[in-house]
Amino acid sequence: MRIPYLWLKEFVTITETPEQLAHRLTMAGFEVEALERIGDDTVFEVNVTPNRPDCLSIIGIAREVAALYGTKVTFPDLNIVSEPKELDFNIDILDSDLCNRYAGRIVHAVTIGPSPDWMQERLEKCGIRSINNVVDVTNYVLLEFGHPLHAFDLNKLHDHRIRVGTPATVLGAKEPIAFTTLDGVERRIAPDMLLIWDGKVPVAVAGVMGGSDSEVSDATTDVFIESAYFDPGSIRRTSKRLGLKTEASYRFERGTDIKIMKKALDRAAQLIKELAHGSMYGKLDIYPKRWCSTPIPVRYARVNQVLGLSLANAQILDCLKGLELEITEVTDTGFVVKPPPFRRDMTMEVDVIEEIARLFGFDNIAPELPRMRLGNDDALTDAQRMMRLKQKLRSAFLAAGYTETINYSFIGEADIDRLRLAASDIRRAGVRIQNPLSEDGTVMRTCMLPSLIRNLITNVAQGNREFQLFEQARIFLPREGEQLPEERECLAALIYREKVKSLYRDDTHDFYRMKGALEDCFADTRVAGVTYRRSAEPYLHPGQSADIMIAGTRIGTIGVLSPLVVNALEIKAQRPSIVVLELDLSALLPHIGASVHYRSIARFPFVERDTALVVDAALESSMILDLVRSFPSDMIEETAIFDVYQGASVGNGKKSVAFNVRYRASDRTLTDDEVDTLHAALVSHVSEKTGGQIRQ
Amino acid sequence: MSEDLKASYLADLQTVTTLQELAQLKAKYLGKKGVVTLQLKTLGALSAEERPHAGKRINELKEAIESLSEAKEVELTHQELAKRLASESIDITLPGKTTGIGRAHPISTVLNEIIDIFVRLGFSVEEGPEVELDHYNFEALNIPKDHPARDMQDTFYVSDDVVLRTHTSPVQVRVMERQKPPLRFIAPGKVYRCDADVSHTPMFHQVEGLVVDTHITFSNLKGVLVSFVHQMFGPQVPVRFRPSFFPFTEPSAEIDIGCILCDAKGCRVCKGSGWLEVMGAGMVNPKVLEFGGIDPELYTGFAFGMGVERITMLKYRIDDIRLLFENDLRFLRQF
Repeated sequence: MRIPYLWLKEFVTITETPEQLAHRLTMAGFEVEALERIGDDTVFEVNVTPNRPDCLSIIGIAREVAALYGTKVTFPDLNIVSEPKELDFNIDILDSDLCNRYAGRIVHAVTIGPSPDWMQERLEKCGIRSINNVVDVTNYVLLEFGHPLHAFDLNKLHDHRIRVGTPATVLGAKEPIAFTTLDGVERRIAPDMLLIWDGKVPVAVAGVMGGSDSEVSDATTDVFIESAYFDPGSIRRTSKRLGLKTEASYRFERGTDIKIMKKALDRAAQLIKELAHGSMYGKLDIYPKRWCSTPIPVRYARVNQVLGLSLANAQILDCLKGLELEITEVTDTGFVVKPPPFRRDMTMEVDVIEEIARLFGFDNIAPELPRMRLGNDDALTDAQRMMRLKQKLRSAFLAAGYTETINYSFIGEADIDRLRLAASDIRRAGVRIQNPLSEDGTVMRTCMLPSLIRNLITNVAQGNREFQLFEQARIFLPREGEQLPEERECLAALIYREKVKSLYRDDTHDFYRMKGALEDCFADTRVAGVTYRRSAEPYLHPGQSADIMIAGTRIGTIGVLSPLVVNALEIKAQRPSIVVLELDLSALLPHIGASVHYRSIARFPFVERDTALVVDAALESSMILDLVRSFPSDMIEETAIFDVYQGASVGNGKKSVAFNVRYRASDRTLTDDEVDTLHAALVSHVSEKTGGQIRQ
Repeated sequence: MSEDLKASYLADLQTVTTLQELAQLKAKYLGKKGVVTLQLKTLGALSAEERPHAGKRINELKEAIESLSEAKEVELTHQELAKRLASESIDITLPGKTTGIGRAHPISTVLNEIIDIFVRLGFSVEEGPEVELDHYNFEALNIPKDHPARDMQDTFYVSDDVVLRTHTSPVQVRVMERQKPPLRFIAPGKVYRCDADVSHTPMFHQVEGLVVDTHITFSNLKGVLVSFVHQMFGPQVPVRFRPSFFPFTEPSAEIDIGCILCDAKGCRVCKGSGWLEVMGAGMVNPKVLEFGGIDPELYTGFAFGMGVERITMLKYRIDDIRLLFENDLRFLRQF
């Protein structure tokens, strides 16, 4: 709301500078976002919160200023002389729940023309364009009193009559009806939207916008000015559904002052009479639903308890003095507040406490840390355990050279299509947003990969030839029969590498590079029992991808992105190496190892043996490790594969796998003979099971 | 005789340049067929009187040669090592081989910093769904369907009853429903609003906080948040609490800190005011406590919320919020 300082000063005495006043208003809950100097005036840009529609006006702000400085508001002089003529005009309120009061005045013999400069200037300062003297007056009074008015061309109103009702009430309509608003747009008015009608047809969408047929034009000679109170909820629903927001609807939907509307009407009629040289007739006022103030009991003790103060009773009452509240039933323990009609935001004790705090000044309440009992449950919450896991993995991936990204949770249809998922795949059935901002944000992510692929495209386009990214976020999987999707915490990572000339040679396959980072994470978080099996994900290279398994459940996938996916990305790079990882942290969390128990350190020396076996090239090396680890001897301490070789010397379709075994006994030094015998037994067991031969 | 031998050895030793030559020289004198060894074998031919004397002299000679050889050996070893090290010299000015350290996203860095401060103050951490029921996002927070306060937040709708949460506040009610006071937790997370420009992105991060107990006051709200601001931005940064409006708190406050970019002198970022708005807060509205199943006559509480992007942008002087979600490595690698 734009408030010109000089206009404000017409209603309240201000001795401070605009800057000082701006600070006072800001600290009283009316944030002055900007001060704009225009000529000798200063315009305040005041941010009025939705609970204070009464302050969407010069007089409203004047009231607050008066309360802050302990002065009074002076209302404009209303010197109304009605022509003593019998009124030939009728008003009927047919839906009194939606329109609690409807008043009007008629001004005859007006001359439509431009409004005077001073009025045009004031309107302009408040951001309103001048139209003609009559319309300008309604807008002027809107700004001054905060009450929206509407001027009709009296002679366009059939039968000199106004009816207030919905199409359902007036016509018994069950279907929307057509109505053209004064912006020239034909709108479909639902049966439950409140309209203003004349004797025959609708003439305005109540509280939102007038109709084009009855608007004031240069040819208008007589005007009917409307001032009414409409139900805020009804106006809001209508405004929302029509997609039509006006200065009027903005105020009506927040709640207007059912009392001041009469004064606003008089003020408008008087100004129109003066500026358009009209003659005024009597007024009409239908008020079927009388407003009455709801008493609010307030306890002194509660005020101090909520605010952390120890104010005396008199101090508390003093704070409320300037607010035009009716205070009754004052006792030793409390009092009753009856708020005025422009303070419909006040209904509860705490609403009054807020006013006390506001006027006492938040600055005058000293900060004090609370004294609290410890929580009922000092165990970690699930959220905390997840947070710790995520922090740990984050550190691990950062250390392994992955840069963290944060993507929007929504992606586009095209992002999902990239993954070549089957039509029945649940990941294609993500939660859809009804009102997305753009095509690439229509559906909540069901997996993380599409986002990282987008990051890849962005960064390759910038000439990056080698990078590693990761992200931790939630995915959203629809659930049968549930309103809300299942939200699972996930981690995704990506390696992108083009074949570039490099100072140092490192030909490690990126699959193993990423798998290594993952294994480090599992070691760090003490996750045991992870196995890998070939993955069938359609977006991964079938020969270079794995499902990550734990206790029979898939907790993720890792692998080289399928060339079919990569080609479709249309990035300008020659066969880059792209490896991706997705890990379901919600599934991983229960497998995080708990406490560590120390084991004694072996005192006796170890003995090592190396063996190379020639096996089928297709044999998965993990089989050899599994066979060694499960061999029934408690002297096998460690095993590792240290070489895999394929070539003519080991035969076609074969490979040599060399592994090392470290033996140790806990109670003695092993002899060479003992180890030779044991190792021979082990090798023969492994050879037999794998069909391998010792490489000579 | 032995003096001659010693002189001849010393002369030979001068010509030795490698350990191998040294070994050969040593063998020439002290080896099985070495000249000194042969001298020892001639002792038997001497008389009993001459023998001890001659023996002693030869042994002295032998010891002298051994000691000279040893000294020479040390010298040559050092020389050879020095030679090898010189030949192994590398270009120490070439860059090291790095794995290229990963960079943390500035939002998660700041988010973790915020979480740490509240955890130190004794808060626990809770969370709630990002796709949320209208009930928790609005109704239970005292924002009914046709309330203008809904305009404060442009909402993404999934259906009439399901929204993308517009703030982390719904976690307040969800936790109150399942836990009894005292409550003292923060709820960090992603939130969504249908808005996009230089200062708005459709997704951003908030940290919500809630404290509920039998005697929590507005003064306590100030105490906790002043402590937070001082830990986050520095103990010298001024803080002010301004009355404001949120449907779920009353009294409500907006928290400004003295502009950290211009030391509260007034600049473009603080629009010349010297103040930056960083948080919203207030005493929990009794209606919200009731929605959460807590008796507002027995308990009071305060809640607060802050935007992580806002703080991140201030901290790193980022002037366009959209940069935070473009994930351009030229941006990310700066942090």
